[in-house]
Amino acid sequence: MSQTLSRPKVQPWSQSSVASVRPLILASVLPAVFAALVGLLANLDFSVALLVIFVPLQALAAGFVGFKTYGKRGLKDAVLIFVTIFFSMMVMVLLTSVLVSVAVAGFSAMSPQFLSQNNVYVSPTTSLEYGGVGHAILGTLLIVILTTIAAVPLGIAMAVFLTQSNAKHKGIVRTVTQALSGLPSVVSGLFILAIMGFVGIERSGLTGALALFPLMLPTVARVAEESLRLVPSDLRLAALALGAPNYKAFFQVILPAAKSGIITALLLGLARIIGETAPLILTINANNSTNLNPFAEGIATLPTYIYGFLSSGYSTSQARAWGAALVLLLLVALLFGAARIMTRQKSLKTKSTKKAK
Amino acid sequence: MESELANPKANQARRKLNVGPRSRGDRVFFGITSLAANFAFVLVALILVFLMVSAWPALQSQGLAFIYGSTWVADEGAEPIMQLGPMIWGSIQIAFIGILLGTPMAVATAYLIVFMLPSRAAKVATTVVDLMAALPSVVIGLWGLIVFTPVAAHWAQILNQTLGWFPVFAIEGEQPTYVDSPFIAGWIVAVMIVPIITSVTREIFSQMDSGLINGALALGAGRWAVLSRVILPTSRGGILGGVLLGLGRAIGETVAILYVLQLSFDINWYQILEPRGGAVASFILARFGEATPLEFQGLMAAGLVIFVVTLIVNTIASLIVNRSTRRVK
Amino acid sequence: MTNSTPSASTLSAEDISVWFGERQVLSNVNLVFPANQVTALIGPSGCGKSTFLRTLNRMHELIPGAGLAGSVLLDGVDIYAPEVSPVDVRINIGMVFQKPNPFPTMSIRENILSGLKLSGRKTANADELVETSLRRASIWNEVKDRLNDQALSLSGGQQQRLCIARSLAMDPKVLLMDEPCSALDPGSTRRIEETIEELSESMTVVIVTHNMQQAQRVSHQTAFFLADENTPGGVVEFGSTEQVFNTPVDPRTNDYVNGHFG
Repeated sequence: MSQTLSRPKVQPWSQSSVASVRPLILASVLPAVFAALVGLLANLDFSVALLVIFVPLQALAAGFVGFKTYGKRGLKDAVLIFVTIFFSMMVMVLLTSVLVSVAVAGFSAMSPQFLSQNNVYVSPTTSLEYGGVGHAILGTLLIVILTTIAAVPLGIAMAVFLTQSNAKHKGIVRTVTQALSGLPSVVSGLFILAIMGFVGIERSGLTGALALFPLMLPTVARVAEESLRLVPSDLRLAALALGAPNYKAFFQVILPAAKSGIITALLLGLARIIGETAPLILTINANNSTNLNPFAEGIATLPTYIYGFLSSGYSTSQARAWGAALVLLLLVALLFGAARIMTRQKSLKTKSTKKAK
Repeated sequence: MESELANPKANQARRKLNVGPRSRGDRVFFGITSLAANFAFVLVALILVFLMVSAWPALQSQGLAFIYGSTWVADEGAEPIMQLGPMIWGSIQIAFIGILLGTPMAVATAYLIVFMLPSRAAKVATTVVDLMAALPSVVIGLWGLIVFTPVAAHWAQILNQTLGWFPVFAIEGEQPTYVDSPFIAGWIVAVMIVPIITSVTREIFSQMDSGLINGALALGAGRWAVLSRVILPTSRGGILGGVLLGLGRAIGETVAILYVLQLSFDINWYQILEPRGGAVASFILARFGEATPLEFQGLMAAGLVIFVVTLIVNTIASLIVNRSTRRVK
Repeated sequence: MTNSTPSASTLSAEDISVWFGERQVLSNVNLVFPANQVTALIGPSGCGKSTFLRTLNRMHELIPGAGLAGSVLLDGVDIYAPEVSPVDVRINIGMVFQKPNPFPTMSIRENILSGLKLSGRKTANADELVETSLRRASIWNEVKDRLNDQALSLSGGQQQRLCIARSLAMDPKVLLMDEPCSALDPGSTRRIEETIEELSESMTVVIVTHNMQQAQRVSHQTAFFLADENTPGGVVEFGSTEQVFNTPVDPRTNDYVNGHFG
């Protein structure tokens, strides 16, 4: 260890030497210092100093260093790297801002009672010591479970069709399914409303679950199709060569091999619908008390709870909205985490198959 | 033992091969799955039919002015005038701003993940972007209203004060608030569509033939040359598909926009910092609670409009993405 | 097909031609595979020998757009006759693939019994069947203490012998092997060749191979397939292995077996 440290690196093929490191350091420090100085002296706004002085200067500096080291080619490459990092940082900043805001503001609303109590006798100005999202958590779970019962088997059956059959119109089924996955959620709600108008059903938890169904179905179908596609076709052929009919080859060989992928499809489908708001506002009545009967009366859900409290504008109701948003995000993160673990297991398994070859 | 050499006889009769399912189990199996697959068509048709029937009276009474007119008066008792023009224009405007802001961010992020980050960091970044795609619209709306709007209003003020001579950044009227504008709504839409464009682009970048890239690098090409000569020409179509998918998402975005935009039937053509704008989807939700039965038909018609538009956009996008992923492969 | 006593059968291909869509890939193949004989199918890549092998147990018809003319007779019965079920055909004519493909979610024991389960049949004594099948594939001694381990825990060569054992558990009359050793090391290859020799005592074996030495070591008779550019493939020469390799009649066979092309 010490030996490698004490010995100077001599790499004739690399151009990095003290002479070329110095402009690199200067280039990364100077623009910031300069921008800060100008900003302070001219009493400029922080964001203006950042965007108008620092960013162009930094780009210039990066380009200069690139030019010094590699010539004209280096100039373009340095600017490309700078631009890439600049725009990706913007994404990072936006995302971090969302997550941190929800975490901080949501955490201050959090308490055992907030998670367990319902919203009866709570007005927009009631202090946070009373009431909570317990009823909305239960309502959300109830409704997404109802949707899942319908959407997951159907989505998997679609995926089976897309991977196992020899039908000619597979391509167009796939395209339509993908196009459906971009269905605006508000349209899904209007669609169920229109059906309700014709058939004459009242708004209830069930109609809400129905409104989420067209949104969940394509997600489940797509993810399940991808995971079934990962099962080597050799396995299917082997099963058929042993005299298996197609359905037995699927249920006894292919499905077990794709199990974790199918569960991933379920989890990502849930993550897709658990935060949907517009369809539920259109098809479910709000409710302040706990209702677990999906066939009658209103049911509270986390997204509609947030929507309701945010619309009223008082600081306590905003705090409630943040709290509910944190709970919702944690549910999404939980589903996502579980899906990640599932995919990791799957990739381990396929890796070992590969090694065995 | 010697066999005759292959001497093809002309027009040997082909046998009928038994390609269909033989056993009853298989017939049931394929029957059910193909029923399920065809349900995709049924669902699209059902949505179309039900929206159309519910919207028909409104479309009939309003005529084509429903699309381009700019008056919406639907009070109890009077004959309603329902013209969606400003909302449709607003949707286009906001989607355009969102794509303008979101595409560079998304493509840069995808480039960073595939070509710059070490594989472990790339995996983390990919997960983060996927998680971003799962952020509920209502949460983005909450953040947009309380956290983002003040910041964006500050930027809008700077833009207006420095570039106000340029009509796009001009604001009419005294004491501008800089909030509730298409500019802010466009940013919110950008946040919503960045993940989808990123994941499509990343997919296409990561399927690039690495031999091609290494070949270019071996010839002494720099990053920029590889990007402009090798990567972009092959992946251009796929990125466009991703952007179109983002466009579909942007047009359908409802709740998040509702919080950060002042819906107005006083049509706002280009002054994106003014607090008036439109978005069809958000408008449906905003009016829904107090709509009269006749106005409800108008809202159904509005829903029909965004359904048809997003269906077309998304179908084209899927076709493009599928084709270019296959080609890159 | 009605005869269910386990014994070798004669398989014969009469005038087989094969199409994929409109493209003909094989033309008028006539071959006889007598009982208890090992037949090697050799030839350069793309000459249609693997395709031909798949016509022998109706795996061919699983490919969309596949077409066929001629007939395949198992003990005189046409396996493509309308009243014959493909499931029965595949039970009687087993197949081993190029890459080992044990079922990854099943144990070794379950893999052996999978054929019965998949084809909907029952056995009185499962343990005995597992043992006999593994013994016949000469892998019993290596796995007898770990029958409940996952099949993927085996080495590549062991996996391939497991796949052979899986086919043997069905008690097939004919075993088709599609380059069974191409993914294996020389040691595993030798063991599988020994297994093939033992198997020929109780069944008919057809093996596709790229390896000339292997064809000479394991087979009694050899068929040489060849496809000229843009024309369908066919059999150039068919005879005893000794004759095909030592005194080939066709000059192209001579060139191929002596390594001049392919």
